[in-house]
Amino acid sequence: MAVRHPGEFEQLVLLAVARLEDWGYGVTLRRQLEERAGRRCSLGAVYATLDRLEAKGYVSSRQGEPTAERGGRAKRLFRLEPSGARVLVEARETFDRMWDGLDDGLGLKPEGGAA
Amino acid sequence: MLTLWQDFRYGLRSLRRSPGFALLVVFIFALGIGAATVIWSVVDGVVLRPFPFPEPGRLVGVGSAYPRLDRGLGFFENLSAPEITDIAEQSRSLQGVVAWDMGQRQVTVGETTENLFSAFWWGNAFPTLGVEPILGRGFTADEIAQGAPVAILSHRVWQTRFGADPDLVSGVVRINGDPYTLVGVMPPRALIYGTDLWIPMGVGMEVMPRKRRQFQLIARVVPGVSLAEVNEELSVIAGRTAQEHGAELPEYEGWILEAMSWTDINVRQVKPAAFVLLVAVGFMLLLVAANAASLLLTRMSGRRREIAVRTALGAGRGRLLRQLLTESLVLATLGGAMGTALSYLGVHAVAAAIDSVGLPLPGDVSVSGSMLLFAGLVTLGIGLLVGIVPAWQTSRPEVRETLGSEGHGSVGSRVRSRWQRVFVGAEVALALVLLAGGGLLVRSFLKLQAVEPGFAAEDVLTMRLTLAQERYDSTRIGPFFEELVRRVEALPGVASASTATQFPPRSFSQREIVVEGLESAVEGTLPVAFATIASPDYFETLGIPLRRGRTFDERDREGAPLVVVIDETVARRYFADRNPVGKRLRVGASEELPWFEIVGVVGATHNRGLDVEPQSEIYAPLGQFSGASNQHFLLVRSAGVDPHTLLPSIREAVRSLDPEQPVYAIQTIEEAYASGAAPRRVATTLLSLFGAFALMLAAVGIYGVVAYTVGHRTREIGLRLALGARRGEVRRLMVRQAMVPVALGGVLGLVGALALGRALSGLLFEVGGYDPLALIGSVAVLAAIAFLASYLPARRGSNLDPVAALREEGGG
Repeated sequence: MAVRHPGEFEQLVLLAVARLEDWGYGVTLRRQLEERAGRRCSLGAVYATLDRLEAKGYVSSRQGEPTAERGGRAKRLFRLEPSGARVLVEARETFDRMWDGLDDGLGLKPEGGAA
Repeated sequence: MLTLWQDFRYGLRSLRRSPGFALLVVFIFALGIGAATVIWSVVDGVVLRPFPFPEPGRLVGVGSAYPRLDRGLGFFENLSAPEITDIAEQSRSLQGVVAWDMGQRQVTVGETTENLFSAFWWGNAFPTLGVEPILGRGFTADEIAQGAPVAILSHRVWQTRFGADPDLVSGVVRINGDPYTLVGVMPPRALIYGTDLWIPMGVGMEVMPRKRRQFQLIARVVPGVSLAEVNEELSVIAGRTAQEHGAELPEYEGWILEAMSWTDINVRQVKPAAFVLLVAVGFMLLLVAANAASLLLTRMSGRRREIAVRTALGAGRGRLLRQLLTESLVLATLGGAMGTALSYLGVHAVAAAIDSVGLPLPGDVSVSGSMLLFAGLVTLGIGLLVGIVPAWQTSRPEVRETLGSEGHGSVGSRVRSRWQRVFVGAEVALALVLLAGGGLLVRSFLKLQAVEPGFAAEDVLTMRLTLAQERYDSTRIGPFFEELVRRVEALPGVASASTATQFPPRSFSQREIVVEGLESAVEGTLPVAFATIASPDYFETLGIPLRRGRTFDERDREGAPLVVVIDETVARRYFADRNPVGKRLRVGASEELPWFEIVGVVGATHNRGLDVEPQSEIYAPLGQFSGASNQHFLLVRSAGVDPHTLLPSIREAVRSLDPEQPVYAIQTIEEAYASGAAPRRVATTLLSLFGAFALMLAAVGIYGVVAYTVGHRTREIGLRLALGARRGEVRRLMVRQAMVPVALGGVLGLVGALALGRALSGLLFEVGGYDPLALIGSVAVLAAIAFLASYLPARRGSNLDPVAALREEGGG
C-alpha cells in the first residue's frame, strides 16, 4: 500500500498520541499540543484530526472487551497503530535526509548564524 | 435376524402387559439420557472443542501477569511488539509464532457498509492455526511481507451480512475507503477474539515501542514438548527481559509469561463448572443404570414362573438370555429415543440461555452428530448393562424348584434381593454425592447473594448506545448524551438518569494512576484503577454514597480545572487517614500528563462482581471528557415502577434525538450481576436438579426393594404376625433391613461427596469444599427420604391380615 504522508498537524497529533497514555485523549492531547508544540487549537480540531487518522489506519480506537458485541464496539481511547508509527518514522527520516549537511544552520536564525 | 425380530415383538408385547413399569423405566432412561446428552453437547460445543483448529492442545497463546501492577494473567492486548519478538526469537519450544492487533474497519461491499472488528496479522496465521479458508485462499508470503491490500472475511459475517455470496471472493471491497481484494472466507467458528476481517499488518514490528502492549500472539508448541516445558522456557525469557529493561519499566519486576491452549484461554472461566457438570452427569447415568437394573430385577422376579415354563419347554439358556436382554434394550431404545427428543429441546433451551446471558463463549451449541452418537452409545450401553445382571440371574432358575415353589425364600430369590440391595446402596451413594455437591453450590450461592454491592443496585435499567462514527464526530458525542439524559430525566417514572463508560459489575477499563507526592510505588505494586467517565448524576442514579467533598456538577466543563472523584478503595490505599480532597492525581505514568484535582470521595462498589473484592475506581466528568468515547451506557433509576416498563419511553426519547440510533444490551444492574454469576448459577441449578432427580431415583429404588420384599415375604410376615409379633416390630424389622444398604451406600457416598467437594472448590464462594452443613443437610434429607420410601411399603406389609396372608401364599 502506498504511504500517504500526513500533514504537519496530523504528525503533531500522531506524535502526541505516541507520547501519551491514551486515557481522556482529547483533553490531554490538546494540552500536549499547546505546551510542547505551541499550537493553540480547539478540541474539535483535535477530534477531527484523530477521526481522520483513524480512517487512514494510523491510530485506532482501543477496544474495551474481548467479545464481539452487537451494536458496534466502542471507539475509545485512541492508540498509535504500527502503520502510524511507520509514517512518523519515515517522515522524520525524510526530514533528516534533507537536513543532512545543513547542521550548521541556514543562516536564517539569528542565534545560529555563525556562517 | 428373524429371532431378533421375534424377541423384539415379544418384548414389546410383554411390556404392554405392564405399562406402568415400562413407562417408569422409559421415563428414567429418557431423563438420564436427555440430561447427559444436553450436558455433553454443551460441554463439547462450548468447552472442549469450540474451535475447528486441529490439535487444539498444541495451539497456544502467551499471557502475561504483572504482580507489580496487581494485574493477573491476561491474554488480551497484553504484549508489546518487542516482547513478541523476544519470545519468537528466544523460544525453542514454540514454533510458528504469529501476532496480531485489533481495531475497527469499515468494509464497503456495493451499497453495504459494515463496521467490522478486525485483526491485523504479523506473519502467516494459517499454518499456525492449521486451517485454510473454506472459500478462496489465505495470504501469500509476498502479500504478508508487503502488506498488500488483501482481506479475508469470517464465515459468520460472510453469511449474515454479505448474503453468503461466493462471487465476493476475489472481488474488490473498500476498507476505510481503500480498495482491497477479498481473497478468502474463513471456515465457521475459526474465530480469533471475534474478529470478522483479517488483513496483513504490512508494517514491521520494529516501529512499535516496548511499552505499547496492544498485541497478542498465538503459536504452536513444538511436537513432543509439554506445556510445562514451554512455560519453564517462557519464565527464563521473562527473567531476561526484566533484567534488561526493568530499570525503565518497573512493571517487569516479577512479571510472568505463561502459555495456555487457545481453547483454554477462551473457556477458562466456565471450564470448572463444565467439568463438574460432566462428572455429575456421569454419576447420574450410573444412577439411572442402577435404578433401571433394580426395577428390572424386581420385574423379572415376577416372571420366574414364565421363564421356568419356557425352560421346561426346551428354551435354551442363550435364547432366554437374548430374549431378556432384548426386552431391556427395547426399554433403553424407547428411553433413548425420548431422551434424544428431550435433548433437542434441552440444547435449544441452553443455547438460548447462553445467548441471553451473553457468556463470553465462542462455541456453537447445537445438536451435533457426536452428540447423537453419544446418546446412542449411552442408550445401548445402559441397555446391555441393565439387562445383563437381571437376565443372568433369571435365566438360571432351578426349573423344578421354581415350578414347585414360587419363591419362598429360595436361593435364587436371596441372590436377587442381594443384588437389589447392592443397587440400592449404589443409588444412595450416588444420590448423596450429587446432593452434597448441589448443597455446597447452593450454600455458596446464597452467601454470594448476601454480599452487598455497595450501592442501591435495584431498580436501575441500563443500556448501551454506540454512536456511529460516520454520523457523530467526536465533538457531537457529549452534547448528544447530555441532551439524552435531560430528556430521559424528564420522563414520568424516572427518578434519575445518567451516563457512564462502564458500571458495576461490568467495569473493564483500567488505567495506571499516579498520586501526587506518591510517585514512587506503594505497597510493592504500581497503582491501577478502573477509570470511568460519568455524567454528574451518576452517583445519585446508582445510589453510590458520597463520603467527602462533592461529586460532579455544571462547573466541570471543558476549560475548567480537571477534576476527578475517587472511591474509598483508592482513598484508603493512597491517603490512609488524610483527606484526599484537594490532592491531585494523574491518569497514566507519563509526567507530561495533566494533574486532576480530587474533589470528592465516594463509596466503593463491587465493580467486578459480588465474588470479587471492590477494585480501585476513579471517575472523571463527562463534561470534560465528552468526546473520549463514542460509547456510553445510559443508566436510569425508576421511581416506584418496574424499571423495564420505562423502556418504551426511553426508546422514544432516543428516537426523538436520533431516529436511527439503536440501543443495545438492555438489562437492569441486578440482571448484570446475575448474568455475571451465570456459570455459577447454571452449575448450581443443574447440580441441584440432578441431586433432586437422584434423590427421586434412590427413593424409587428403595421403595421398590421394600415393596418387593413385602410382596415375597407375605407368608413370612403372616407367620410372624400369627405367632404374636406386633405390627410395629414387623415394620421396624423391614425398615431396618432396608436401611442396611442405605447406610452402607451413605458411607460410600460421603467419601464421594468429599472428593466432589474438593473438585468444586474453585466454584465455591466463602464455603469450604468440606462444608459440614451441606454434608449433614444432604445426609439428613437422604435419610428422611430413604426412611419414608421404606416405611410406606413396610407399613402396608405390617397391616396384612395374617390369616389371609398365609392362605394366599399357601395357595400359590
